[in-house]
Amino acid sequence: MTETRVESADEQRAVELGSLEAEMTRLGAEGAMEILCRSLSGVVGLAPFPPARASARFGCASIEVEWASPEPVPAAPAAVAAAAAVEEPEAEERHEVRAPLVGTFYRAQEPGAKPFVEVGDAVVAGQQVGIVEAMKLMNPVVAEVSGWVTDVVAGDGERVEFGQPLVFLRPGGQE
Amino acid sequence: MTQAGGAGPPFETVLVANRGEIALRVVRTCREMGIRTVVVHSTADRDSAAVRLADEAVQIGPPAPRQSYLYPPAIIEAAVSTGAQAVHPGYGFLSENPDFAEICARNGLTFIGPPPEVMARLGDKALARRLMADAGLPVLPGTRDPVSTVAELVPAARRIGLPLIVKASAGGGGRGMAVVRTWEELVPVFRAMRATARSVFGDPGVYLERFWERAKHVEVQVLADEHGAVLHLGERDCSVQRRHQKLVEETPAPRLAEGMARRLAEYAVAGAKSVGYTGAGTFEFLVDGEEAAFIEVNSRLQVEHPVTEMVTGIDLVREQIRVAAGLPLPVGQEEVRPRGVALECRVNAEDPERRFAPCPGELTEFVPPGGPFVRVDTHGYPGWRISPDYDSLLAKVVVWAPEREQALARMERALAEFRIRGEGVRTTRDLLRGVMGHPVFRAGTHTTSLLDGTDEPDGDTAPAG
Repeated sequence: MTETRVESADEQRAVELGSLEAEMTRLGAEGAMEILCRSLSGVVGLAPFPPARASARFGCASIEVEWASPEPVPAAPAAVAAAAAVEEPEAEERHEVRAPLVGTFYRAQEPGAKPFVEVGDAVVAGQQVGIVEAMKLMNPVVAEVSGWVTDVVAGDGERVEFGQPLVFLRPGGQE
Repeated sequence: MTQAGGAGPPFETVLVANRGEIALRVVRTCREMGIRTVVVHSTADRDSAAVRLADEAVQIGPPAPRQSYLYPPAIIEAAVSTGAQAVHPGYGFLSENPDFAEICARNGLTFIGPPPEVMARLGDKALARRLMADAGLPVLPGTRDPVSTVAELVPAARRIGLPLIVKASAGGGGRGMAVVRTWEELVPVFRAMRATARSVFGDPGVYLERFWERAKHVEVQVLADEHGAVLHLGERDCSVQRRHQKLVEETPAPRLAEGMARRLAEYAVAGAKSVGYTGAGTFEFLVDGEEAAFIEVNSRLQVEHPVTEMVTGIDLVREQIRVAAGLPLPVGQEEVRPRGVALECRVNAEDPERRFAPCPGELTEFVPPGGPFVRVDTHGYPGWRISPDYDSLLAKVVVWAPEREQALARMERALAEFRIRGEGVRTTRDLLRGVMGHPVFRAGTHTTSLLDGTDEPDGDTAPAG
């Protein structure tokens, strides 16, 4: 997460804790807690399946997340300052919801209605995120995984091809 | 062959509902006619030559044909949304599907082919035989109606005699037929064919026909407009076959009996008129000496159409499009004057050493032949990945010469020039060279049994005709 190059893990930890204490004092309890929770959700979102356990401590400001299987993501104590800004997920972390068939993409159930999803929304697997109309039939587009909407790349009313990316999700565990 | 009064193209935009070499073939003619093209494609064909050359391309589904090239809703949606007025189905896939033609019409699209009801009647092979017999064409001894029980089968087979062929009414493209040579085989083959017909074609109907062991397969190209004009563009000999799949085609047919070519042409024109045929179509016959018998009609463009184009100078795709737009044929029968000899060899990505198993793989080297009077219709190029999902046809090498001997030499030269390499890619090129040098083929006396030595039982190959 951090860009600082240090010789050993212990030294790095010292650097992080030092800066962390200074940072906490500056933020105050409420602010620190808010950032901590936001960081936690970011860490949870790293894996495409829900964690078995997650905790955010305030005392020495650490975040712990445990995944049961199959690939535990190391949950190192994160520097709050570094985690405060949610980074743009890398390509392999992005899930693309693609057009199931050729047709016209719509973001809402009908013109003027509220879109199914907006950027930042949390969605669960199976939730509808749009419509592709083909041959006068409305075909629901659903998210195959749970996560957060990071982008809606197809325009409302745009003609889309089979397999064309419509919505980007950052996968993350939600029941 | 000029358009009347300098009018614009017959359609502004044509959608090509096919792939491979034929999609490219249609796009090329559209280009020449000033027609915008939309090519639909599966994910496997994203980088195809047709996609690259078309004005617009729409990805309609995954590689499996049932979800892409055989899936009407996706094709129609693509056509409507891109503003196409007409759909060219090529050959295979939906080209002879009357339901698809009707769906096109219902969505305001012109299907480039005969009327759906004509296609439906000719698509039922048993009915087509009956219709043509009524129109005065000779047919093989056989059953007038489909046979559905063993009780009907045995007396019918006794009447026809052996060897006979059991054919699926809804079959085609060399699939859905089996030869019966002994009485013991009759019932098992009949039952197996009914099961195959039900599962593959969705219609268990089968009929029986006398099997002519040593006959030539000769077909006649017809072209008809919506104003009652019906032309024939001569015949093609397609006797060189393996597992009922054509390998080599030529026009004119060599060594036909005196007057036979003219008789076949007259049969085809009479047959086309009798059912109200429009567009390009092919009437297939078996010919044995002085005898001929109608087999079936293919109500679409055929793989081997280039040989007819080479000797007549008529672009069949162009005429298909013009006829579909309601325009009259530009020439009369007396103006169709075939000249010289044309041959076509189908180079398939198949391994002759391994029972002609298809050879998918990426082409690393691909240099088609050139030179005088050589035409190569292919979608191949270096880097093109031959997909296991489709027919193995890779290229059609077509040559023209004033007479047959020169055409054979030219074909041999062209095949030898053709360089095709790729990881795991094998082709039928050398087999075709062998045919060119085969004394019986060179003499022109060959029949459909020429390649019996390489025959395998009916496999599941995609239709091509």
